[in-house]
Amino acid sequence: MLRTIFALAKMHLNEHNIYKSNFYLFSFNRLIEVVVYIFVWQAIYYQTGDAGGFTLSQMITYYILVVSINPIVLWGINEDMGHSIRTGRINKELLNPISYFKYYFGMNLGEIAFAVIVGIAVFVVCAIFWGVTLPVSFLNFIIFLVLILLGIPITFFLQMIAGTVGFYSGSIWGIQILRKAVISIFAGVIAPITLFPAWFQALSNYLPFQELIYTPINIWIGEFDMSQIVFVLIKQVIWIVILYIIAKKFFEHAVKKITINGG
Amino acid sequence: MAIIEVENLVKTYKILQKQDGLIGYFKNLVRPKYKELTAVKGINFNIEEGELVGYIGENGAGKSTTIKMLTGLLTPTSGKIVVNGIVPYEKRIENNKSIGAVFGQKTQLWWDLPVIESFRLIKQMYKLPDGEYRKNLKKFTQILELEELLDKQVKNLSLGQKMRCEIAATFLHNPKIVYLDEPTIGLDVFVKENIRKFIKDINREKKTTVILTTHDLKDIEDVCNRIILLDQGEIIYDGDKQKFKDIYGKYVFAELVVSNKNGKLSDTITLNGCEIVEETEKSIKIKFNHEETTIMQILNTISNHCVVEDIHMREAELEDILKEIYKGAHKC
Repeated sequence: MLRTIFALAKMHLNEHNIYKSNFYLFSFNRLIEVVVYIFVWQAIYYQTGDAGGFTLSQMITYYILVVSINPIVLWGINEDMGHSIRTGRINKELLNPISYFKYYFGMNLGEIAFAVIVGIAVFVVCAIFWGVTLPVSFLNFIIFLVLILLGIPITFFLQMIAGTVGFYSGSIWGIQILRKAVISIFAGVIAPITLFPAWFQALSNYLPFQELIYTPINIWIGEFDMSQIVFVLIKQVIWIVILYIIAKKFFEHAVKKITINGG
Repeated sequence: MAIIEVENLVKTYKILQKQDGLIGYFKNLVRPKYKELTAVKGINFNIEEGELVGYIGENGAGKSTTIKMLTGLLTPTSGKIVVNGIVPYEKRIENNKSIGAVFGQKTQLWWDLPVIESFRLIKQMYKLPDGEYRKNLKKFTQILELEELLDKQVKNLSLGQKMRCEIAATFLHNPKIVYLDEPTIGLDVFVKENIRKFIKDINREKKTTVILTTHDLKDIEDVCNRIILLDQGEIIYDGDKQKFKDIYGKYVFAELVVSNKNGKLSDTITLNGCEIVEETEKSIKIKFNHEETTIMQILNTISNHCVVEDIHMREAELEDILKEIYKGAHKC
């Protein structure tokens, strides 16, 4: 089964390889984004002497990591799934000898592999331009990676939920934007979560999103209270289970709708 | 034991009746009206392993609905389906392992990648052993002439090329049953012949059961040994192809080239067991029944009214028979 999933991941990655310009365009896009963020925070820092509670070099590292990680979190197979529903290709995919979830999980891994390649390229270029602070310890770096890995099933199930909406609405465009917006705000892409109101931070503590980007970066730069780490890890695992159940049930309901009404 | 058993299969769709206009729009939101449409009305059939079955009928007769139920993509409203010992809509993925399917022009090949990569994925997904894969690939490549296509991206293939690859992909994992829903639609004669030959070859070698729906009756004529004829959700014929032609195909068509004709013959003469289909100044097209009359009797009558110069005759083909049946000329 694992080999099938890797084969699917490889196929999807190969699709990206066909369009080599994608790699350069996507990476360039990320660079523009990071430049904008850094200019804004430099301006704020020089005017107020403060960058949201971080030092300026921490803030620069924060945003370099944000733009490097967020393809892993935001990209995925949602468009492919929407296309599959719209064109009826899903009928063929439901006839595969493996489940639709596994099929798309494999493809999603391929997408993530591509996102990692872009992320590393962006990180290296930025590190050369601005310099980054390295992880405070090797252990912190490992925990950083663990949280990123735990994020993969979470973002995948979120995509499956968003994609399933397409069965009912016929289009997943709107829900896609919503998904990306929610993740961007709660994961600390727009701004570090410490800058938001207290109630927002309290809410965010129980949601799985800040561990996708915000928390791992704080662990990297040593601004995270390590006594919290067990809570965070358990929370993520619980969310994986919850989102899996929701995604699976919702999808099965949608498939039943097709198999009873013929789509 | 039959490989496919279907008993009293019924499928009813609920269709939303759209109401026009702004008021209609709100009515749709608040209290949608549904109309029930029964696409398949209690059909029964058994298919044995290795049969080549032509599943035919007009558009909307319920062919695709049946195929979708057999593959587990649709849940029947009532009735029983057992495919290979499995109820397909309950254990779809289990059922998927031993079937293959082509639906019109929807492709299972990966659009941006070379064909061979899709084949490799199929090998991996169905856990096909290396030797078997290589053997099939070699054989299919040869019959379907895929040699030069395997390394091309799917999006660069023509329709015929794509369909040949699609057919190969469908049979690659040695499925026990293959459903082909209009596999030859829009293809040229050579590709069609190629595909028919392939289906027959594989069936002979591996006893693959094939269920074929098509509007090209040459496909049926050439490939199938059994016909199931569907009309408005009901089976009106199920049995041997040759017998079908024997029972319903007693008609002979003839075209007579004539001269010195006085007025319209259909107005002046009556022919027993013969019908004038079309009549012009210089030709008469007739259709008659073997058992009721002969061409000599007809010519005797007609030659009293004009000079017959030439005759072309042909036996009824499947297509003619079906035309007759759809017109309601036969009660099956």
